[in-house]
Amino acid sequence: MESFTPVLEAFTEKTGIEVEYRIYRAEDLATILPAQFESGMAPADVIFMWAWWIANNTDHILDVSDVINPDDFMPGTVDQVTVDGKIYGAPYTGKVKPGFWYRISFFEEHNLEVPTTWAEFETLLETISEIPGIEAPIASGDGVGWPLSDVTEHFILTFGGTELFQGLIDGSVSWTSDEVKAIFRDKLVPLLKAGYFSEPKDWTLILEDWWEGTHALYFMGSWITGMVDNASDLGVFSLPGAEAFVFGPDFMFIPKYTEYPAEAKELVKFLSGAEGQTIQVKQGGHIATNLGVKLDDYPEVDKRVAQLLEGATAVTDLDDTVGGEFQTTFWDQLKYLWVHPDEWEDVLANIEAKAP
Amino acid sequence: MSQKNTTPLFFLAPAVILITIFVIYPIIKTLWLSFLSPNGEFVGLHSYFKVLRSKEIINLDRFPYKSPPWGALIHNAMWIAIHLPLTLFLGLFFAIVLKEVRGASIIKSIVFLGMVMPMVIGGLLAEFLFDKDVGIVNVVLRFIGLHPLANISWTYHPETALLATILSGVWMWTGFSMIVYSAALAAIPREYYEAAEIDGATSFRKFIHITLPLLKPATLVVVVMTVLYELKIFDIVYAATGGGPGGASMVLAILMYIKAFVAFNFNEAAVLATLLTLLTLPPAIWIAKTAVGRK
Repeated sequence: MESFTPVLEAFTEKTGIEVEYRIYRAEDLATILPAQFESGMAPADVIFMWAWWIANNTDHILDVSDVINPDDFMPGTVDQVTVDGKIYGAPYTGKVKPGFWYRISFFEEHNLEVPTTWAEFETLLETISEIPGIEAPIASGDGVGWPLSDVTEHFILTFGGTELFQGLIDGSVSWTSDEVKAIFRDKLVPLLKAGYFSEPKDWTLILEDWWEGTHALYFMGSWITGMVDNASDLGVFSLPGAEAFVFGPDFMFIPKYTEYPAEAKELVKFLSGAEGQTIQVKQGGHIATNLGVKLDDYPEVDKRVAQLLEGATAVTDLDDTVGGEFQTTFWDQLKYLWVHPDEWEDVLANIEAKAP
Repeated sequence: MSQKNTTPLFFLAPAVILITIFVIYPIIKTLWLSFLSPNGEFVGLHSYFKVLRSKEIINLDRFPYKSPPWGALIHNAMWIAIHLPLTLFLGLFFAIVLKEVRGASIIKSIVFLGMVMPMVIGGLLAEFLFDKDVGIVNVVLRFIGLHPLANISWTYHPETALLATILSGVWMWTGFSMIVYSAALAAIPREYYEAAEIDGATSFRKFIHITLPLLKPATLVVVVMTVLYELKIFDIVYAATGGGPGGASMVLAILMYIKAFVAFNFNEAAVLATLLTLLTLPPAIWIAKTAVGRK
């Protein structure tokens, strides 16, 4: 909220249009909006929502093709909200999920090195687990389940590649296929069985544990830089061999039922534009989707994350893209896997049952 | 029709109209939806068979020999099997123990807090109550030496998640049965006990032969209301576990919500809504009949 306010203030200053900002969880909006739309109403003039949801509800959404130019954004970003050639959503800034975050001071204190191979990664985990005070080397955040899906997606992307990842999104690859099974059987599950991942715990609470040294590594998105006391002490590394990352842009749309379509389009144009996104990335924790934002505008720690994306392939979040019942099942089954890694094949079968 | 005959209809009309719009129409619409496929074709009972055969409802591959998930219907049954007797016993226990205690109203207020608190808050608190580090339940378990149970966060393990939500429900609902029993106890004439004392009855015999029989109407009310609560349980479970992990604490109402508002499969959601209605109908009819009988 605090980091978004300056962007809205800049918009009001520029256009004279007042904006009232209200916070809703996307999960709650998904429940509220269908009923509101059916009665020809909308709770706001511009709404941030999942891309898949926007693409599935275009009957109630204004076409913003006249204010959004796909060439201004990271390749493929606008495609997620484009249906039959019309653009129904606008990308804002996004968050990248680059890998495992650690405290530089912790690594220095214990003479730990960032791994460059899978074997080094396993050795690192073993070394960390022997450090007094460490409960488990990797903190496992939980909310509704997304922190576990983020780390799982990183394993799939690293060891399965983008083609397999996209195949899981569009349903052309099965969760019970040999390729997916191999990733779980040979990479993720052995780490879970060895106790290298902690028991899931609320992702904000376990962030404090990790910062205090109960855990050494925490897989989290780039927004973590805005959640710690000293962001300059943050280091991050990906699984060795990772060549692609999940990049999750926030999307907004204008409901058809808005009383102020012109003003709403002005706001969407500003927020998705380089000017609005530059103000946002300066606040920390955000990565721009608009190509007009310069690297120098980022805080130092975010600049490192933005640089990680250079040369790598950016893909959309798997469960956010599929959405629906698959998403909740995926999250829930991963929570189960985390405490019952021996039942990984059942977990994959249950996920496949709800997959596209 | 004379004016005398039409006057009652005039006064009944607003209620009838509102009930028709907000109760009867949604019921008929839900029932109709349950007989349709997602693309609007009439499929009769097909959706019912599909839902009832689903492992999300009854999972006989796991029940009763493996840990949950056992299916939402069995989980609801577990709620009734565990939550109902515990709530009844604890409510009665507190009502009797606190009957003659000075300052009992303060203790009763504390017990009743669970009822006053929104169920969602109770669900969120449940996560912390059973947390391995800060949970009071685990602190107590550790104190009495039950370390294997105390060293896990109950809501994150399929073996314990269902039980954690049920026990949280007991904490929140005991206040209700305690208040009902307290009122019923206060209504028992003191003379009955005095007569029994003259006959030399012990406290135990007075409880068995006077208190318990006279508490029967209160017990029936508590049982019916609690069963209804257990069948439509949603908030505590949704906030504490979301029905997980792996569906290990899933209940019918949450499954209905997921089908309707996550999967947007309104037909299967309508099937679940109809099943829930059928399950809650007998106790609801009993309440209605009892109310008419009293009148």
